[in-house]
Amino acid sequence: MDLKTLTELNGISGDEGRVRRALMEAARPHCDEVSIDRSGNLICKKKGADPSLPEVLFAAHMDEVGFIIAGYTDDGLLRIRSVGGIDPRVIVSKWVLVGPDRLPGVIGAMAIHLQTMADRKKVLDYDGLYIDIGAKDKAEAEKLAPLGTYAAFDTAYTPFGEGMVIAKALDDRVGCYNLLRLLQGNYPCDITCCFVTQEEVGLRGSIGAAYGSQVEVALVFEGTAANDLGDVPESQRVCQVGYGVAVSFMDGASVGNRELFKLLPALAESAGIPCQIKQGVTGGNDAGSFQYGGDTGAGTARTMVLSVPCRYIHSGASVAALSDIDAQLHLAQEYLNNL
Amino acid sequence: MQVEEFLRSVTALPGLTGQEGQVAEYIAAAFRPYADEVKIDRCNNVIAHVKGDGPRLQFCAHLDEIGLMVSKIEEDGCLRLRNVGGVDPRIMPGMQVQVYGKRQLTGVIGAKAPHLLSQEEREQNYKREDLYVDLGMPAPQVRELVQVGDLVALEARYVNLQNGRIATKTADDRACVAILYRAMQLLRGMKHKADLYFVATCQEEIGSYGAAMTAFSIQPDYGIALDVCHAHTPGAPSWRTHELDALVASTGPFVHSMVRRKLMETAKQNNIQVQTAVVPRSTFTDADSMNIQRGGIPTALLELPLKYMHTAVEVLDMHTLEEGARLLAHFACAAELAWEDELWT
Amino acid sequence: MLRDTLKTLLNAWGPSGNEHNVAEEIKALLGGHVDAIRTDAMGNLIVEKYGQDDNAKRIMISAHMDHIGMVVTAIEKEGFLRVAPVGGLSLKASEYRHVVFENGVEGVLLSQPVQNGEPKVKDLFIDIGAADREEALSMVQVGDFAVYAPHVFPLGKHRIAAPAMYDRCACALLVELLLYAEDQKNTIVGVFSTQEELGLRGARVAAFAEEPDIGLALDVTGWGDTPENKLPDLKLGAGPAVKIMDAYMVASPMVRDALFEAADLADVAVQREVLPYGGTDGAAIQHSRGGVPTGTLSIPCRYVHSACETIDMRDMEGALKILLQFVNLI
Repeated sequence: MDLKTLTELNGISGDEGRVRRALMEAARPHCDEVSIDRSGNLICKKKGADPSLPEVLFAAHMDEVGFIIAGYTDDGLLRIRSVGGIDPRVIVSKWVLVGPDRLPGVIGAMAIHLQTMADRKKVLDYDGLYIDIGAKDKAEAEKLAPLGTYAAFDTAYTPFGEGMVIAKALDDRVGCYNLLRLLQGNYPCDITCCFVTQEEVGLRGSIGAAYGSQVEVALVFEGTAANDLGDVPESQRVCQVGYGVAVSFMDGASVGNRELFKLLPALAESAGIPCQIKQGVTGGNDAGSFQYGGDTGAGTARTMVLSVPCRYIHSGASVAALSDIDAQLHLAQEYLNNL
Repeated sequence: MQVEEFLRSVTALPGLTGQEGQVAEYIAAAFRPYADEVKIDRCNNVIAHVKGDGPRLQFCAHLDEIGLMVSKIEEDGCLRLRNVGGVDPRIMPGMQVQVYGKRQLTGVIGAKAPHLLSQEEREQNYKREDLYVDLGMPAPQVRELVQVGDLVALEARYVNLQNGRIATKTADDRACVAILYRAMQLLRGMKHKADLYFVATCQEEIGSYGAAMTAFSIQPDYGIALDVCHAHTPGAPSWRTHELDALVASTGPFVHSMVRRKLMETAKQNNIQVQTAVVPRSTFTDADSMNIQRGGIPTALLELPLKYMHTAVEVLDMHTLEEGARLLAHFACAAELAWEDELWT
Repeated sequence: MLRDTLKTLLNAWGPSGNEHNVAEEIKALLGGHVDAIRTDAMGNLIVEKYGQDDNAKRIMISAHMDHIGMVVTAIEKEGFLRVAPVGGLSLKASEYRHVVFENGVEGVLLSQPVQNGEPKVKDLFIDIGAADREEALSMVQVGDFAVYAPHVFPLGKHRIAAPAMYDRCACALLVELLLYAEDQKNTIVGVFSTQEELGLRGARVAAFAEEPDIGLALDVTGWGDTPENKLPDLKLGAGPAVKIMDAYMVASPMVRDALFEAADLADVAVQREVLPYGGTDGAAIQHSRGGVPTGTLSIPCRYVHSACETIDMRDMEGALKILLQFVNLI
């Protein structure tokens, strides 16, 4: 399955079904065992050649940030809340698809001509933003998009520039895409690829996957924010698009295992795989679940996060380099083949 | 016992988070006639088991309550307080309290008189650190009877308002414990296959710990957490509050969509009105911690609207409470093993 | 001796996530004196001393090895290191501090002037004396951790100050308990835990894996006996404190009361701790699996999260006596 198909599927946190079904179908031919656990994670297992080696777990999250319909105005506009962190400043005048039937909608705002000076300075927040699906009144809006309906950015996958791509949900469909590609290879050890739910609302699905897997090593495939253009001091760029897969020493959810943190960049260097150290410690991801099980303590693994740098992450148009996406896969394969 | 009598008694008992022993004993005794087995675990969770051979369901409502604790005894014998859970300091000045020292003592919460405050001070609410408990006795006697860490309970009254509405302390969440109680009564006359656990959980107000513990130890197939939510009051955003006279079921990523769908279908079949609330992230109820135990326990959230939450005069509608019990009982009867096939469709 | 053990542990380098040096020191101190010793994936050092009773309970006693520090996030052209805090680093306590990396590289921690308002923790940088990036890179890498340089010194007759006092003083207590407990009734599962400062992570995993019957955290607590610092109502030298509650846990009444009783039996004065903030490994143990009755015994400590965290050795000695009773009592 290609990255275009994957990013164009809608799967907001809590509504990952379509993504899960597509991934399951694509993964099945390459796995020895495929199952869905009680947190909704898709668990794909593949046997290795040498049963004496410890199993290695890989994880990527299926969910993406988006919106949920939380109310209506009398004239038929949909009141929304974000699911996962979306800065309200990036959503004005954007296109969305609402619900399982992909009803087209737009996020409008009062015309600039009508705004006062005070209006122009004020950031519109979610209380002041709406999706317009063209409904005539509240009753019609309620019928077409009942409370709790999810909505996603409507963005076509678009290659541009030199080996770059614009798409929504690159965080973390790039990881899902690479897990699928990883499953197509053969490795010395057993591998488990977990496509997990609900990362964007607090790393919840992976807590269940950690409880069910209890492995010694877990590598997490992520998309992470690159802040590498414009007037940003070098020390705050986090990572740079086009400079390879980013390896993390620490973020808000976990401290990377020190041995893996030394080993993986060294492996990358000797194999000629572009690799960079992620600079910031902001954000957090599923590695925390596999390491210490979030609040439950059901973690067992030494962990490391391998990220694809993405610009404008959590917006309708994020940007990544295809070479970085390949580097994430190649470094993982290099690790497995050198166990 | 009529459910109203249960509610009146159970809301009157102290049960500060972490020290719920007394209220747990009362609830366990009240549940006993309606269950095959009732126990109180090591952390004050009350677990009532109504046996069946279908899917295992856990229904839970928390028994702990917010309150106050003595943090320091001043030279002059007045008591400084810290809160246990989110007590609104605006309700405190002028409130009578019971201090659970070597014996139970009555006190009143005092503050600097308004005519001694500067204009600037008067325009702000009292902060907790400005307030103290006056026990009306000399300092040496206070020191003899009270220690740092003793519990302080707000005045408890139970008032019948018009139209079956009731004002009481700790309707959050004892009113939902009353729903569990009433549902167990109703189930005596009904047929159910499911293996049922009715659980009054500890330590919700500081992080839903009791629900996490019991979901781990019971390991149910599905869960329903019961808690209170906000009813309409003046000034509150109307689309984030609800009518007092009907139940609420939240939807969003923290609520399992299959379990919620089954709950809503059950409500419809039995002509029970349920409003929908949309929660884009954490629900801040027992549902959040149940959902992530043991690899994932699909759990939905059922709520009873309440006015003036976290005050001493929380108002609920008795009819809504009864409907909650009816829905829970019917849901228990509807549960089937075949639900498993619909989990991830 | 408690004082020597404490000094040894205070000098070990170990920010959150990098506790291996502390663990090595503890292993050396305990070698031959305990029944089992192991390290898990989080780096927790788990030590057992079996109880004699047929119905011995497994008491998990946790003391965390990590302390706050900083991690290098970027290296500037001019050779300065940008850092992010590891744990609750305060700007006030950090400015002009002497810091040290695991490989011995030393530096000073400063904040850059900011245009509007006051500098914040994010404005801290380390000067390691490098002239440019190249020289800096020959000394440290992005992702290397640093701590306030160890410096242990006495304050008066009974008190000791040092950067890592929180929570090495508790590690010292736990080491001494494991050394001195003999034929005790219950099994002591001593957990020298990791990453407490990042959210009780090590203790959570250890509690889940060890499934104890009873939990006890050893930790420091705040103080209320210096100018205009009134809460919590605790004094240095007035005895260790039995926790009633903090922001993360209400101590289980059964364990709390056993601590009071153990203090009575040991004839040690204790204080009652109602902490308006904070949390300890105790919360992680209490909320583990189906719930574990858990308490916390605290050492009052002034200037927590600074390079001069100060405790009173009389409180430490009292705490050790209480612990020796506690493991037989409960």
